[in-house]
Amino acid sequence: MTRKSDYVTVGKDTQRKDGVAKVTGSEKFASDLSLPGMLHMRLLKSSFPHAKVLKVHTREAEKLGAYTLTPEEVPDIKYCPRLVSTPEATYKDWRILAKKPLYVGEPIAAVAADTEEEAQLAVEALKVDYEQLPAYFDAEESRKPGATQLHDAIELKGTIINPERNIACTLDLQEGDTDAAWKECDEVVERTYRTNRRYHLQLETKSVLVKPEIDGGISVWSTTQSIHNTRLLLHEIFGLPMGKIRVYKTPLGSSFGSSIQVNTIVPIAVAMALKTRKPVKLTMTREEDIRDHVSYNMIFKVKLGAKKDGTLVVGHLDAVLDLGSHQIQAYALLGCMAGWWVSLYRLKAKSYKSVAVYTNKTPSCAFRGYGNPQVSWMVETIMDELAEKIGIDPLDFRLKNYIGEGEIFWGQGPTVKSVIRSSGVEEILKRGAKIVDWYNRPRAGNQTGRYRKGLGMGRGFHTSSAGAPVPGTVVDFSGAIIKLNEDGTVDYITALMDHGGGTLEAHAKIIAEELCLPLDNVNVISADTSTTVYDVCTHASRGIYSGGGAALKVAKQVKEKLRTFAARMLDAEASALSFRVDNDRKQGVIYAEGIKGREVTFKEIAYNARHKNWGTIAAVDSYRQPACPPHFTGYFIEVTVDTWTGKVKLDSVVAGADIGTVINPKLAAGQVHGGLAQGWSMAVMEDMSYDAKTGDLINNGNLTDYKIPYPRDMPDLEDFEVFFVETVEPTGPFGAKGIGEGALNPVAGTVANAIQNALDIRFYELPLSKERILRAIMEKEGQ
Amino acid sequence: MKITINVNGKQQRFDVEPNTLLLNLIRDEMSLTGTKYGCGIGECGACTVLLDGDAVLACMMLAVDADGHRVDTVEGLSDGNKLHPIQQAYLDEGAVQCGFCTPGFIMSTKALLDKNPNPNEAEIREYLNGNICRCTGYVNIVKAVQCAAVKMKE
Amino acid sequence: MMDINKHNTHILHRFEYHAPVTVTEAVKLLKELGSEATILAGGTDLIVKMKDGSERPRHIVNIKQIPGLRGVNETPEGLWIGALTKISELENSRVIKEKLPVLYEAVRVIGSVQVRNLASVGGNICNASPAADSAIAFLALDAVAHITGPDGDRKVPFGEFFTGPGRTVIKEGELLTGISVPRDVYGWKGYWVRVARASMDIATISLAATAKMDGGVVKEIRLAWGTVAPTPMRTDNVEDYLRGKKLEQNIIEKAASLAASSIKPRDSGRSTGPYKRKVAKGFIHEALTRFAEA
Repeated sequence: MTRKSDYVTVGKDTQRKDGVAKVTGSEKFASDLSLPGMLHMRLLKSSFPHAKVLKVHTREAEKLGAYTLTPEEVPDIKYCPRLVSTPEATYKDWRILAKKPLYVGEPIAAVAADTEEEAQLAVEALKVDYEQLPAYFDAEESRKPGATQLHDAIELKGTIINPERNIACTLDLQEGDTDAAWKECDEVVERTYRTNRRYHLQLETKSVLVKPEIDGGISVWSTTQSIHNTRLLLHEIFGLPMGKIRVYKTPLGSSFGSSIQVNTIVPIAVAMALKTRKPVKLTMTREEDIRDHVSYNMIFKVKLGAKKDGTLVVGHLDAVLDLGSHQIQAYALLGCMAGWWVSLYRLKAKSYKSVAVYTNKTPSCAFRGYGNPQVSWMVETIMDELAEKIGIDPLDFRLKNYIGEGEIFWGQGPTVKSVIRSSGVEEILKRGAKIVDWYNRPRAGNQTGRYRKGLGMGRGFHTSSAGAPVPGTVVDFSGAIIKLNEDGTVDYITALMDHGGGTLEAHAKIIAEELCLPLDNVNVISADTSTTVYDVCTHASRGIYSGGGAALKVAKQVKEKLRTFAARMLDAEASALSFRVDNDRKQGVIYAEGIKGREVTFKEIAYNARHKNWGTIAAVDSYRQPACPPHFTGYFIEVTVDTWTGKVKLDSVVAGADIGTVINPKLAAGQVHGGLAQGWSMAVMEDMSYDAKTGDLINNGNLTDYKIPYPRDMPDLEDFEVFFVETVEPTGPFGAKGIGEGALNPVAGTVANAIQNALDIRFYELPLSKERILRAIMEKEGQ
Repeated sequence: MKITINVNGKQQRFDVEPNTLLLNLIRDEMSLTGTKYGCGIGECGACTVLLDGDAVLACMMLAVDADGHRVDTVEGLSDGNKLHPIQQAYLDEGAVQCGFCTPGFIMSTKALLDKNPNPNEAEIREYLNGNICRCTGYVNIVKAVQCAAVKMKE
Repeated sequence: MMDINKHNTHILHRFEYHAPVTVTEAVKLLKELGSEATILAGGTDLIVKMKDGSERPRHIVNIKQIPGLRGVNETPEGLWIGALTKISELENSRVIKEKLPVLYEAVRVIGSVQVRNLASVGGNICNASPAADSAIAFLALDAVAHITGPDGDRKVPFGEFFTGPGRTVIKEGELLTGISVPRDVYGWKGYWVRVARASMDIATISLAATAKMDGGVVKEIRLAWGTVAPTPMRTDNVEDYLRGKKLEQNIIEKAASLAASSIKPRDSGRSTGPYKRKVAKGFIHEALTRFAEA
């Protein structure tokens, strides 16, 4: 294998190809698009958390000249907006427009008019007769015997399920002899943890533009992480032939998992476009978006046992998932939660019970890490607590028990298992510890003044993709098309979406490296469902590993065709030819080493191939990764707690990451920076709470009362160090793995451990708000 | 109502309703969609434009209140083929991820560097504190502003 | 209760628009239109309320084009601040920074640069939020609100200005034209402190304190609080307690406890009453310790 330092393009910082459009304001996001004659849509949303819609009165709205769309007018089928799992694991409980809304903000009807102002007047002119029904905002309440059932019937692979006691799905696991293992333990810690409910707050609210085509088909531009799954779902709901549904790749104003599923507004807009036969646009307002999607809320009852010598032995996790009103991927998540829980540290025996419960709250979906930030917060804080009980340094405790190279890994849950082939865990921990002088950190409980400092550490990981040697219940493959143009450049055509992290920039580098082309000669083509082959979705930190794997596979095929054509032109043995980049001529060159004059540029090959009628050099293929290698991260965070106000200040951060070969250095570091900010925010700021009287969010949908960090809330540049350790993932393209989610996962746990170090207080509920911290300090100090 | 606004250096006339927001005038009538809607209530800064050189929020202003004033949007920053040093700095430092907040940040940066060509890090963070980015944790953005300050002196 | 189907932050609903160019004209219009009219100044509060549907004025009276209501000027009596003065202009005023540091500190944390470039000081006050940062500073400076109405001009001390959440003494047909700060507070010690969820945020609780000290003894003191009651409020009893006293540790402790029991915070979606009482103690501690320093 080539050494990293020999790479020409991989690992170099370059100006991202979509950069000029983004800094000049010319990049068109979904919400920036418009079409002549387009109608503007508005939604009528449920004012109640649980109700039956008896009638929607549309006459007044129609008098204003608006089109209306009611629950009776849309296909009467149940669907699941996420198409990543196989049918056995896909629970369908959504309806395009609800006849029985289950959360405040659920769309009941829609209007369309020439301007948004007219549409707004029309939506205010709609009247709804409701019959209010009991609502639940707590998973423990909604699954009590006798509680009103929220869903009468949901579908799983064509069969009807009756979710009694509002239990959406369950998953239990057992590995090893837990009874015997508990007896081996010298120390056991048992705790209950409650996570917060976080809003993605992607900067662009969800948006969709639909154009009905003259042939009865539709064109769709929408906020999505998967154009193909969008087309599949629209085909499933509306029965249009797939050739008549074109979904275009549209730049994402970030997403963080909130557009893995087809957005709620997409089928509504399609139904309206099909009714009116006019282009329609629907952009959610922020207050609609904030009521549309949220992270999963979890309650963990966990028990962990170890021997005196610091060997972890056994664990039990009892997890309750409060999923809100509709399933997007709750069942798959129950599996992943087990995976997140058992994948950091070796447990020779473990048991797991989990249940996902419906409540009358915003539907939950993946949010960067898909439950891993929540689970890792629990794992990393209970590890600290157990280490303290045993009397071993928490860092040494981790080094002794971490799961590393050669061990079985099932991070994406029990159906997605593979062997770890690259691990930089030890280096991350040791290098980080050295930088922060870990072993000389303050002792918890030693400080008494107003301001108290604490240093904490935490580990994290995430899978790169959901690949595996054998297929499970998760679809994970990608595809690519590469073709040589007559000027010696290549067009790269993929359905895979770039969230902004630079995934497609990385793909272009992978292709350029493999084909020995200048990076400028790789054109990333904007495409749609008709012109691309299937890619499942940009999620699970799979963009570079899985999508880049597909790009590499197809690039290799193109390379072989180039070689064959070059051999014919050079009258040489194909296998003896070499490739190199010629930056002066801005060409890839194929040559016979040591023989002067025996070389040909890609441009000459393409020229020759056209005039001699050899055809176009191109390849198309799909690729599934045979593994889902974990990328690893470790954080060391220093905080200061103001014991008079409960405010925690983020003083400094050292973050180490093993992501295999680093392809885009500055953008990869950017993933860590962003992960830290989101993790800090999760730890101390974010929560969505509901008013039990109205069922609505207490913040009324206003960002004023949903705070995330601003520039001044983050540490100074010199106080934030990111380092990457050198590993090579044998299954990854040029040795690369993912980073997106692992960058976030350990942060909340690390912050909690730092606060514990400062105050000698452990917290079991997020967020660690100033109110919660001050109350705990007052209780501890007897005030 | 008939109003005249100098948009990116060019006088333009518009006929607007009093309830038209400056943001919607810019996006819908001027077709300058680089200025973004992020929250509509002044919490995120995605709609930042310059009003007579000062950073303001287009989502919180009536279009009629821009009558007789100059409005600068991100589209007016680069002249022809060459990026403005601020734009170039954002790309060089990897400060652009999804890019949705970028125009707002760039306009805040422009206002800052026009008033204070040598800001220290605290001043940069203070000036950009009305802009939200959910992707970058602000690290590479702060670096980009520092880099732009150097570039603009060249 | 808010109606989620009326909440739309993309647009504003329709209204009749008026843009008077003199105070007299504005007052006449406001009197005529009565409760159907709302004054638009900087717009940063009003536009939010119009978008969320909590206010649907039929008439908007935009007063931005009235000359003479903008600026910070020194007069023989003290400082005059026009109601339309932008918050950023207060922030950049040298006299405020030098002579009235408590006001300087207060206006610097209002919203963001962009908000401060739009928002007017009059609007920040007339919005009558219990959290309004400038209002708390003006309370601590014993400033006076100048109001013009159909019956002429009147002056109201800040201590009497706020009548409830979102409510002030300004009656239909009246207009706040400016604020004056008496010269005798120049050179007083000032202290400003707040705690919030993020660096750009509404204060969870804030304190503006001013004091005239004489050799470690309190001659005069004013303690004005944000977000501890339905309106910005002063804790007169704590001021009375401190007047004439030397700021020794036990006095400070006593004053802090007294303040904590005198404020009237309630639980809300943003914070809790007990939290604010505890923090208030610390704030008084900080302020008085600072005043006690030479």
